[in-house]
Amino acid sequence: MAVHYYLTVFPMEAMVASQLEPEQFGAYMALGDTKAAAEQLMFIEVEGGFGDFFDWDFAAKKCNPHSDGRPKRSLYLSVYRALENVPLEALGTMYLVTKDGRSLAIEKDEYKAPANWPGFALYREYCPMSPLAVSSLDPKNYGDYMTDPVNKVHAPSILFADLRVGNLDDIENSGNVGNLYDKNLDHLKDCIQSLQSGKRKMTKIVDRSNFNTSFYQILGEGLYVSSDTGIVMYPMPDRDALKKNHYDWAKSALIY
Amino acid sequence: MFGFIVIVIIGALAFAAINYSAVKKKSAGSEEMQSIASAIQEGADAFLRLEYSLILKIVIVIAALLLVVVSWYASVAFILGAFMSASAGWIGMKIATISNVRVSNTANETKDIGATLKVAFQGGSVMGLCVGGFALLGLAIVYYVFGVLLGQVDPSHLVIKTNWLGINDIPFTMTVSGYALGCSIIAMFNRVGGGIYTKAADMGADLVGKTEAGIPEDDPRNPATIADNVGDNVGDVAGLGSDLLESFVGAIISAMVLASYIFFTSGHSDNPVSAELVSKLISFPIIFAAAGLVSSMLGIFILLKSNVSAKPHAELNKATFIAAGLTITINAVLTWLVFRGMDLSAAGFQLGALSPWICAVLGVVSGILIGQMAERYTSYDYKPTKGIAAASMEGAALTITQGMAVGMKSVIAPVITLGVAIIAAHSVAGLYGVAMAAIGMLSFVTMTVSVDTYGPIADNAGGISEMAHLDPEVREITDELDAVGNTTAAIGKGFAIGSAALAALSLFASYLYAQAGPKAAEGVDLVLNMINTMTLAGALVGAALPYLFSGILIESVANAARAMVQEVRRQFSEHPGILTGEETPDYRECISISSAGALKEMKIPALISVVTPLGGGFIFGPEFVGGLLIGTTLSAIMLALFTANAGGAWDNGKKYVENGHYGGKGSDAHSAAVIGDTVGDPLKDTVGPSLDILIKIMAVISLISVSIFSKFNLFSLLSSLISL
Repeated sequence: MAVHYYLTVFPMEAMVASQLEPEQFGAYMALGDTKAAAEQLMFIEVEGGFGDFFDWDFAAKKCNPHSDGRPKRSLYLSVYRALENVPLEALGTMYLVTKDGRSLAIEKDEYKAPANWPGFALYREYCPMSPLAVSSLDPKNYGDYMTDPVNKVHAPSILFADLRVGNLDDIENSGNVGNLYDKNLDHLKDCIQSLQSGKRKMTKIVDRSNFNTSFYQILGEGLYVSSDTGIVMYPMPDRDALKKNHYDWAKSALIY
Repeated sequence: MFGFIVIVIIGALAFAAINYSAVKKKSAGSEEMQSIASAIQEGADAFLRLEYSLILKIVIVIAALLLVVVSWYASVAFILGAFMSASAGWIGMKIATISNVRVSNTANETKDIGATLKVAFQGGSVMGLCVGGFALLGLAIVYYVFGVLLGQVDPSHLVIKTNWLGINDIPFTMTVSGYALGCSIIAMFNRVGGGIYTKAADMGADLVGKTEAGIPEDDPRNPATIADNVGDNVGDVAGLGSDLLESFVGAIISAMVLASYIFFTSGHSDNPVSAELVSKLISFPIIFAAAGLVSSMLGIFILLKSNVSAKPHAELNKATFIAAGLTITINAVLTWLVFRGMDLSAAGFQLGALSPWICAVLGVVSGILIGQMAERYTSYDYKPTKGIAAASMEGAALTITQGMAVGMKSVIAPVITLGVAIIAAHSVAGLYGVAMAAIGMLSFVTMTVSVDTYGPIADNAGGISEMAHLDPEVREITDELDAVGNTTAAIGKGFAIGSAALAALSLFASYLYAQAGPKAAEGVDLVLNMINTMTLAGALVGAALPYLFSGILIESVANAARAMVQEVRRQFSEHPGILTGEETPDYRECISISSAGALKEMKIPALISVVTPLGGGFIFGPEFVGGLLIGTTLSAIMLALFTANAGGAWDNGKKYVENGHYGGKGSDAHSAAVIGDTVGDPLKDTVGPSLDILIKIMAVISLISVSIFSKFNLFSLLSSLISL
């Protein structure tokens, strides 16, 4: 059985070796072994063998089938600073797993600037930190800014997504956007307004808390992995494509 | 005229058979779809078999009691009523479980909402036609065999007779009451049993599957999902059908009973009812109902043959209005033909030959108004339900509070409508007019049941489409049809409650008449003395009874749902492969749990409705039971309206959020709305419909037994001993 390497980026950052295929791995991690864990998961398949931060030999030695023939499901190689030690070119397909274990695979692509830039974006960072921020920077510039060592607040690599922002003055007709706008809506509006008022600040933190759920429903153009070597994008399929090709996942993700 | 009735009944049942066969001939889709549908069918069949075998024993016991204590004809009519109602329920459920997969497949093949609606409606129409057809078939048999052949409707036999126990009654009234009681018993068990079954499965599926494991509705990985679909059939098809059949019969027999007593008690008055008039007053309700059945058949035919648009709600409303309009029009002619040129003053008709028709029109109009009010309070197109969705933003407590407020406020308008209809009908045609108003409201019951049954069929079709992973486009079609079904169900409940109130009032008047003795031919004082302590005590107990009944029902649902929750958790825990799709859930175990829970829990509430008037009567006497009936009727109508509307509003409030409002799915508002819906589920689908039957079954039981406990009751015995 082949050994796969998975970089989990939500809800925890880790490098995991496994003999499970990606969808099986996603379901196993979301649902648990002997009981229904019901937990969302985001991970990226990684081409192993690069660098010396991860112990690939250990993985090759230990990631073996059980005595009864069952595949080894998870062998943790690192639970700390994993993302920053994976070069962008080693990143493969990203999987967004719902809490009932359905996976959506998104292929890596080159960065594309947003088609209609409204002047600001709402970003959800997933790894290695997880705040919610508004920024007047587009995704590429935001990624560059967040990974620029010149800034006091930065990280070597960052995975984040841009989120859809509806009409915040008409929350009754919000669409299926989950609980993002349930609370502190006024605070979010203040943050956006302060950016739009041109008071020098390029980013404002809306929420520092560590969300325990993801927001698949309101993922915008896509997810981005940015490092000092560049940026790659995982473009979200549009709603029509989700409905046509990934309806079960979209239903599980509460989009429909 | 009798020939007309026979032709209509044969026509209705033949039409049902044609529609049954037409639906069955349609393709059932892929193997996977057929396998899911057959699991639902097996579950529904198994439950009804178990339920009916239990009911059979109860029917035998009651029939034996009626035979010994009342009369053989009441006993036979009772068995006939039970048979007719059980048959309608069985056939309706059968066709619903055949239609569901064919609806799903039609959506898949045609991708056309109009074509799919037609199949769902054609399936529903079988139930509607069976309800109308079987109810009238039984009544026609009772009327012809007992009334005509055995002479019970011969004016010379419309007198109070005394049986071997010294019990008084007019034989024909006892026969038709026995028939109604047979229908009521089946309705009570189908509604209560079906209601507990469906909500146990629904709550079990939702509480663990959706809330804990996060899997979507109708996902085949949820072990309770098939049981949930079975529940739609046993609760919303068999239960609803037998409920409305019983209402229909109750309304008709209340007019017949009133006519018989009015004839007898006016015998020596200055203005007695003539023999010719009483014959017409007794047969007229069946003729009126037969015309309603013809109108409904035309309405169904028109919908099935026309080009149906993509607006299912409008199409169903159009069919209903066609049936109602034709019923009114045809019956105007028939009423005039029946009563023209007669002296109708003895019957209290104030506006000539068309007086009973006017009362029936009042019933139709008030039924439609009550239905519209139910829609206004439960549809998310209107403010009350949107208000509940908005309140969900602030948490579950406010969702519950707002829903209760909506439910409570929703009671007044239908009650005023009923009050106005009752007063108007009474002033036009006396108590007979009130009974005619109830008949009017239910005269096109075939159409309303067809529309109501379409709902659970569409719901099941949605489930099958989901479980068989059909195209999203197909699921959208079935979802839209299902959403329309929720509104039609709310309107149907409005009709059921309104007609139950009117029928109960007519039966209550019959109850007062039924206390008359053989020498009461000079008139009976229809007065219940409210300051009599017995009456007052009865009214107090009666008002409390629906609360006790509802409490037991809710607890029953909770008990059955708890067992279901534990089973679903067990399966997920012991078989993690279910969620990964590597193992198939044990659907049968969940079906068994729902069945066992429903059968175990339905006995006590059903017994309460039968035993209370009997117990009250044999201990405290007829005044107490009179008070009991008034108290129960008033309290149950309010509670039924409250539970149906609050439950419907909570459900649609949740749907409004799920449609992408206030954060939509996954939001905190959604969590709160789900809690509101879970609270409302047993209220609207178990308690509300069962309360309709509670008041009617208590009225019929009291009507049958009043002459017995008037003679034999503990309080009278003790009073006579003390006075000795």
